[in-house]
Amino acid sequence: MSHLLAFVLCLAGFAALAFAMHRQQREIIGRPLRSITTNVLRLGGACALLCALGVLVAWNGWSLGLVMFSGHTSLNAGIVYCTLLGYARMRE
Amino acid sequence: MTKGRGVKIDDDSQAAGRGIRQSMSSLHTWAALLLGWILYAMFLTGTVSYFKDELSQWMRPELSRLSEIPDQAVVAQRIANELGNTVPGTTQWSIRLPDARNNSAYVFWRTSARNPGQRAFGEGNFDPATGQKVASRDTLGGEFFFRFHFQFHYMPVVWGRWLAGAAAMFMLVAIISGVITHKRIFVDFFTFRWGKRQRSWLDAHNALSVFGLPFHFMITYTGLVTLMALYMPWGENVAFKTPAERQQLTAELSAFIPVGKATGQKVPLASVEDMVRQAQERWGRDNVARVNAVLPGDAAARVAVTRGEAGRVSMSPQYMEFEGATGKLLAVRDHVGPAAETRGVFYALHLGRFSDAVTRWLYFLVSFTGTAMVGTGLVMWTVKRRKNLPEPDRPYFGFRLVERLNIASIAGLSVAMTAFLWGNRLLPPPLEGRADLEINLFFFVWALTLLHALVRPARSAWVEQLWMASVLLFLLPVLNALTTQRPLWHSLVEGDWIFVVMDLMCWTLALLHAVLAMRTARQRAGAPSRRKANRQAPITVASSERAG
Repeated sequence: MSHLLAFVLCLAGFAALAFAMHRQQREIIGRPLRSITTNVLRLGGACALLCALGVLVAWNGWSLGLVMFSGHTSLNAGIVYCTLLGYARMRE
Repeated sequence: MTKGRGVKIDDDSQAAGRGIRQSMSSLHTWAALLLGWILYAMFLTGTVSYFKDELSQWMRPELSRLSEIPDQAVVAQRIANELGNTVPGTTQWSIRLPDARNNSAYVFWRTSARNPGQRAFGEGNFDPATGQKVASRDTLGGEFFFRFHFQFHYMPVVWGRWLAGAAAMFMLVAIISGVITHKRIFVDFFTFRWGKRQRSWLDAHNALSVFGLPFHFMITYTGLVTLMALYMPWGENVAFKTPAERQQLTAELSAFIPVGKATGQKVPLASVEDMVRQAQERWGRDNVARVNAVLPGDAAARVAVTRGEAGRVSMSPQYMEFEGATGKLLAVRDHVGPAAETRGVFYALHLGRFSDAVTRWLYFLVSFTGTAMVGTGLVMWTVKRRKNLPEPDRPYFGFRLVERLNIASIAGLSVAMTAFLWGNRLLPPPLEGRADLEINLFFFVWALTLLHALVRPARSAWVEQLWMASVLLFLLPVLNALTTQRPLWHSLVEGDWIFVVMDLMCWTLALLHAVLAMRTARQRAGAPSRRKANRQAPITVASSERAG
C-alpha cells in the first residue's frame, strides 16, 4: 500500500515538474503558462516527491526508505518522460 | 532561447581550444567504448541476477514449489543428519536454508581432496522435505548469470574479477565524465527529439542515464566495494599481521568461522534444530539464512547460525555461534565496527537482497535502463561516425570492428542468454556434466552470433539477430509447456507465480526485441537523409517550437 502511495506521489510530482518546464508548456499546451502557475507546479511537484520520501521512510526507516525512494523516482521520471514522448509522437 | 546550444554538447566540435567539456566528451566516448561490450554483458547478466533465485527455481522444474516455507529448524537438522551420513569426514559445511525465494537448500562442503586439480569443495541442492540431494536436472541455474557478471567464465576467477573491476572503474569514469559533458542535464530533463537520428539516440542515451543516474553511480561504486579487498589488499595487509588479527577481521566480514585444529576426539554434533530455534526466537521464524559448521563430529566443532537478509540494508554478518559438541551458545554477533558496517551497507545496496518484491522489481527495471544506457551509448558511437565516413560503403577497420562487436554483444547476448534457457529445457537430464554443457551452449551460441555479425551486412545482422532473440523468447513458454509438467495454464491455476511471471516476461521481452527489430529494419531502409538532419538540428528544433 505504501508502495502504491509512493508510486502515485512520484508520478504526480514528476508530471508537475515536467509541466513546470517552459519547453514542455509550449509543446503541449501551446503557450507558456503564467509564472505563478509555473511556480506552483514546481513547488507542488517538489512537495509530492518529498511526501513520497516521507511515506517510505516512515514505513521502513531511512536505509530501506531511501533505496525504495530512489527506485520510485527513477521509474516514475521514466514513465512521465515516455508519456510525453508518446504524446509528441501521436501529434505528429 | 538557448535551444541551439544544447545541440553542440556531444558533437566533436571543431571549435578552437578544447574546454573541459570537450575533453570530458572525448574521455567519455573512449573510456566507455573500450570496455563497453564487457560492461553491457555485466549489466544485462547482473540485471537478471536480481531474480537469480527465481530463475534457479524455473531451471529446476522437477522441484515443486513450496506453498509455504518449511520450519527452518527442522530442515537444518534434516540436512545436517544427511551430511553426517554422506560426507562424514568433512571439516566444514554450510547450508543456505530454504526461504521465500528458494525452494531448496543449497549446501557446500569442504572435500578431503588435497591433490591439485581436484576441487576443494563439493556442492549440491537439497530437498527440504527429505533432506536428501534433489533429483533434479544438473544446472547452475540463475547462479550462472550472477557469477558471470563479475568473474566471467573460461578464465581463472581472479582474472575475471580484475577484468570486472577494470570495467567498473571505466564505468565510473564514464559516468562522471558523462555528467560533466552534459551540463544541461536537468534543463533537458524531459526533452526528446523524435526522429532526428543522432539527436534522438543521444536524447535516449541521456534520458536512460539521467533517470537512473543515482542508481548507476551507486551500482558501479558498490560493485567495486564488493571486491575491494581483492583490488586493494595493502591496507589490510599492513593493519592485520598476526593470524589472530586476521581471524578477527574475518569474523567482522563474514559468518564463516575459520576451520581450527581438530582434537581427534569424536563427539557427535549437538541438536542443530535447537540452535536454529534460538536464532528463530531472536530474528523471526523465516529469517534464518545459513547454518555453517566447522569440524562437525569433532570435539572442537563450532556452528554459526546467521540471520536472513530481508529488510536489512547491510550484508554485515549477524550470527550466533554455538559450541558444536554441547550446543552451548558461545556468542551473539549482531554488530560490527563502523568501517565494516560501511562496507556491509554498500555490499547490500549492490545485491539488493533485502528487497521486498516491489523493490526488487524497481531494482530490476532501473538496472535494465542501465543496460539500455550502455547499449545506446555503444550504438551511438557508430551512428555518430557513420555520417562522416569518407566512403559509406567501405568503412574503415575500426568502424567495422565496433559495428560488428556491437551486434554480437547486444543482440547476440539476448540470443545466447535465451539459448541457455532453451538448453536447460532440451538437454537430457542424465547427461554427464550437464550443467557445464548448458554453459558451453551459451558461449557457443554467442560465438555463432559474432560469426553471423561478421559475415552478414550490418543492417541485416542486427535485424536477423533481434528477430532470432524475439522468436526464441516467444517460443520459450511453449517449449516449457511441452517439456515440463508446469505449462502456463497449470501455473495459473496452481498460483505458481514464478512460472507464470517467467512466461509473461519471455513474451514481454520477445515483444521488445520484435519492436527493436522492426524499427531497425525500417530506419536503415530510408538512410540517405541522415546527414543533414543533424546539422540542421537547431533549425528543426526551433521550427518544432513554432509548430507547437
